[in-house]
Amino acid sequence: MNKATNVGIAGVGTTKYSDHMVVAPSLFLAVTTIPYLSQISYVGLEGLFFSYYIDGNQTLSTYANSSFSSRKKHVWYKQPVDNQTGKLYGEPVTSHSFNVVNTSWFQVALNHSWGYSSLENGWNNGGEPLFLTSVSLLGKGVIAMGVPVKRLTDRLGGIINLYGGSLSLVTMDGKLLLNGIPNTKFIYANGTIFLQFMWPNGFKNFPCSNDTPETYKLDIDGKEYNVRCSTVEISGVQSVCYPNYSFFLVFAVFAASSINEFWFSVIPLVFFVSSMITNAQREICLHDKLIKQMEATQQAERKSMNKSLALVGASHDIRAALAGITGFIDLCLANAAPGSDFETYLKQMSLCAQDLLGLLNSILDTSKIEAGMMNLEEQEFNLADLIEHVVDLYHPVGMIKGVDVVLDPCDGSIIKLSQVKGDRGKLVQILSNILSNAVKYTVEGHVCVRAWVGKPDFETKILASTRKGLGKYMSSLFSGKNDGNSDIKAVSAVRQNRDSVEIVFEVDDTGKGIPKEKQKSVFENYVQVKETAAGQVGTGLGLGIVQSLVRLMGGEIGIVDKEFGEKGTCFRFNVFLTAFEIQGDAMYGGTNSSFAIRNCSPKLGICTPSPKLDGSQVVLFMQNIERRRVSQKFLESLGISVLVVDHCHHFPSALKKIQSKLNSLLNSSRRSDMSCRSDISSSSSKEMPLSAMEGTEHKLPFNRRKDTPSFILLVIDVNAESFSELWRVVAEFRRGLHSTCCKVIWLDKPTSPCIDPKRLNPDDEILLQPFHGSRLHRVIKLLSEFGNLSQGLSSSSESSKHPYGKTRLRHTQCNDEIQGYVSSSNERYSKQGSSSPTLEPTRGRLKSKRKNKDGAESSNGEKPLIGKRILIAEDNKMLSILAITTATQLGADVEHCENGNEAFELVCDGLKAQRNYDYILMDCEMLPMNGYEATRRIRIEEERYGVRIPIIALTAHTSGTEAMEAGMDAHLNKPLKTNELIEVIESIETKE
Amino acid sequence: MDLIQLQRQLVDYRTSLYHEGFLDEQFTQLQSLQDENNPDFVVEVVSLFFEDSERLLNELSKALEQQIIDFKRMDAQVHQLKGSSSSIGAHRVQKLCIVFRNYCEAHNVEGCLKCLQQVKHEYGIIKTKLESMFQLEQQILNAGGSIPV
Repeated sequence: MNKATNVGIAGVGTTKYSDHMVVAPSLFLAVTTIPYLSQISYVGLEGLFFSYYIDGNQTLSTYANSSFSSRKKHVWYKQPVDNQTGKLYGEPVTSHSFNVVNTSWFQVALNHSWGYSSLENGWNNGGEPLFLTSVSLLGKGVIAMGVPVKRLTDRLGGIINLYGGSLSLVTMDGKLLLNGIPNTKFIYANGTIFLQFMWPNGFKNFPCSNDTPETYKLDIDGKEYNVRCSTVEISGVQSVCYPNYSFFLVFAVFAASSINEFWFSVIPLVFFVSSMITNAQREICLHDKLIKQMEATQQAERKSMNKSLALVGASHDIRAALAGITGFIDLCLANAAPGSDFETYLKQMSLCAQDLLGLLNSILDTSKIEAGMMNLEEQEFNLADLIEHVVDLYHPVGMIKGVDVVLDPCDGSIIKLSQVKGDRGKLVQILSNILSNAVKYTVEGHVCVRAWVGKPDFETKILASTRKGLGKYMSSLFSGKNDGNSDIKAVSAVRQNRDSVEIVFEVDDTGKGIPKEKQKSVFENYVQVKETAAGQVGTGLGLGIVQSLVRLMGGEIGIVDKEFGEKGTCFRFNVFLTAFEIQGDAMYGGTNSSFAIRNCSPKLGICTPSPKLDGSQVVLFMQNIERRRVSQKFLESLGISVLVVDHCHHFPSALKKIQSKLNSLLNSSRRSDMSCRSDISSSSSKEMPLSAMEGTEHKLPFNRRKDTPSFILLVIDVNAESFSELWRVVAEFRRGLHSTCCKVIWLDKPTSPCIDPKRLNPDDEILLQPFHGSRLHRVIKLLSEFGNLSQGLSSSSESSKHPYGKTRLRHTQCNDEIQGYVSSSNERYSKQGSSSPTLEPTRGRLKSKRKNKDGAESSNGEKPLIGKRILIAEDNKMLSILAITTATQLGADVEHCENGNEAFELVCDGLKAQRNYDYILMDCEMLPMNGYEATRRIRIEEERYGVRIPIIALTAHTSGTEAMEAGMDAHLNKPLKTNELIEVIESIETKE
Repeated sequence: MDLIQLQRQLVDYRTSLYHEGFLDEQFTQLQSLQDENNPDFVVEVVSLFFEDSERLLNELSKALEQQIIDFKRMDAQVHQLKGSSSSIGAHRVQKLCIVFRNYCEAHNVEGCLKCLQQVKHEYGIIKTKLESMFQLEQQILNAGGSIPV
């Protein structure tokens, strides 16, 4: 109400029509928020009159646009009002005018500082009676609010239980509001109200007194009635905001048949009046707060949106400057003397610039996501490889701190899935981010990464449960943005795809953990949990981006509650990918077929353990408890008998146990006279090339396989104990074995190898940590059930599909290569990065750019565009010379024209002569016809011939959206650059 | 003068142009497009740039003298100037054009006048610098040497 007052005063003094607009919002606020209010008016002495009122279901407004002083002319208009905004619409209609200024309530209210209440007729058609509360605004105007009488009487008549009594209401001046008592009427005479009871044979009057309530007893037809008159103060809405200076008096008359029940009748009325007041008060406050809050929220959203857009806009410039810096550093590097301090400094500068670019990219990613511009770039990839790759990247980081990073294959469903289609780069980004956090905040213990394929029924559940959240997120994210819609569609398309599989990831660490109350806020941007972040740096953007990316891929991320007493945090997220190709059992495919015959488990291809000891025995001796648990679980799930040794002094005894068990078995059935090695090598080297496993089952010598003696595989983590000690134990164990084949896998740290390869048995292998993923699979393949390749790990890896094989596993002789493993594998990753640019967005981009630069330089001789016909439409002479020369130098056959019209005609000629251009480079802003228009026409024309010529837009703007909308295929910034041209043409060709 | 000395002078001069931000990598790009088939490519393009720029600068000066200034037209002209300057890598001129366009959009006459002055100044500098560079190159060629890359 204060607001209304202020605005009202602001409007006083001027009589412009637009002043309505000043008063109107406040009045509308009041009429929508104050309960029961059906009419509100502002009457200014200066002549301004404006009012909202409710007539039936519709809100209407009445206003006068002429001054009150010239009364003859003053006209009232009536106009309907939009219920939501309070704006007037439709045509104003002249309506019946009231002489408001002359009414007593206006005069009284105007001349007194307190408010005034009265019973008046409203503006609406019926002239419905209202309790009108009017209050003066510093003597210059009056605000009047009306509550319909009917509202009160309805409630009194309908809701309040009078316990058999009846109720009538009459005002002090004799206006009847409610007549509930039968056979009565009220008579107003000399300032006193008389209640008149009428019988068929007479009538009786009772005076109603102002001061003292009186009770009369009546006896009508043998029934006794108690009649009581009392005053009720209905202060109206006015009392909500103003002190109760004036009361509006109403007599309430009750007639009840018994004294006892009479009291019940009074209380509810009092209660009604007071509760109405307090409720109204509360409701007004709440409504008002809500409206303010909504406005603030909308403003904040708008601001945030604008900020994001501005950031995206600035991105180009910042990137360009940074690219410039890195470029110049590279130039300097080329000139720097190798090995000089100068070169070292430059390299450091280059690294810093790269870091800066990474940081910038993460901020830009956020703004891009917020602005709704992030799209998924789908491509096919091997999911198992990707996960292992990411985990392996963080393994060395963890090892330095003594934290083991373990990949838990879970139920092996990821391995079976193999090829999927999705946004590889973003998935890597998500995993890396969570994993790097986990490694960063974990001081001791381990970080475990789990991944599995979600169950189909579970999937739908998740789908249903996350859709709501997703929708909410999307709508807030893209509010007011059109291009957001396509993203939503894209996401839902991802979900609806029948081939789409849900992949669930968990990253579980044993770090400090995140306090429960902060778990929600970690996903907000710029938030870092301070207690755990001591000494750690970062923008605090990571998890916010991760959440957005996960949602973009149709999933949800959250923190999984840990059991009480368990340390650390467990992040779980799910994404939806397209299952591109389900390779039943890619990993164990070959053995599957052979093994299925033996064990009859064709469905999974993974055998159940055979009761006899004709399978393999694996002994795991590892330091890290989690890795041991995970490896054991996985091997056992494949039906392999696993013995786990957790401590070094249990190791010898465990080996002895196996030895004695073995020997007793073998002695009892000594029929295997051949050495396992020769057996296996003959079978596997010929018939088991891994890459061609599918078709080989018929060649397998089943009969011989039956006799395969048990095979013992020791997997020993050298970090657990000194190498020489372990070696001694193993050597002793070997001596005790007779014909049983025994192979040892020594697990070594990649950073500080401590194995002396000269002392190893030629059969043994050195495997570098981490022992999971492809390395674990390779070891499993050593087992006879899974296609023992006695040639050893190295040969299996040569023939393997796995790209990792070649560098991961080396024969012991090549110790030097082991030493160089870290660097070589890193190199390999970076190569991979450049061939698949989304792997690491920043690096990939730079690399490819550089590659192309080189390519452009070297292409002076080879001319990649040779034989291509290119049309260049460009009106600026200089720019056309530039473009023509650039294209000609690349070997293209170039034609030039100066505007869209010419371009269109040339294309038409070409179409008719069936001599089409291979590419068109089109300037967008040309006269008389611009490039967009020309493109549209060309697109229409060429459709008749069933061709589509790639058109590349040349613009000076950074974004090519308009060009794409016009039907162009790509977009290049002016001035034309050789490498960019090649890049674009290459990308168009690959698309085709 | 000694040929080697001339060549060194050219390299130094060119480096200084890059260093002081008169030119950017686009000029390098331009040079890479010049080959035996097209020996005067850079000079040709740059002369076109001079023609273009002088015409545009004159038009802009005239436009600003008018009673009613057609800012939309001016904006288009500055846009053209920006395009051609970025095409030859005249970095400073290009940067100024960006500021200039902002003033045009804001209909700020003062700012436009100031900017036009600055653009003219920068244009004068880059013109002299490029011309002396071409002269130097010509000298080297006349002396029978090759242009160092």
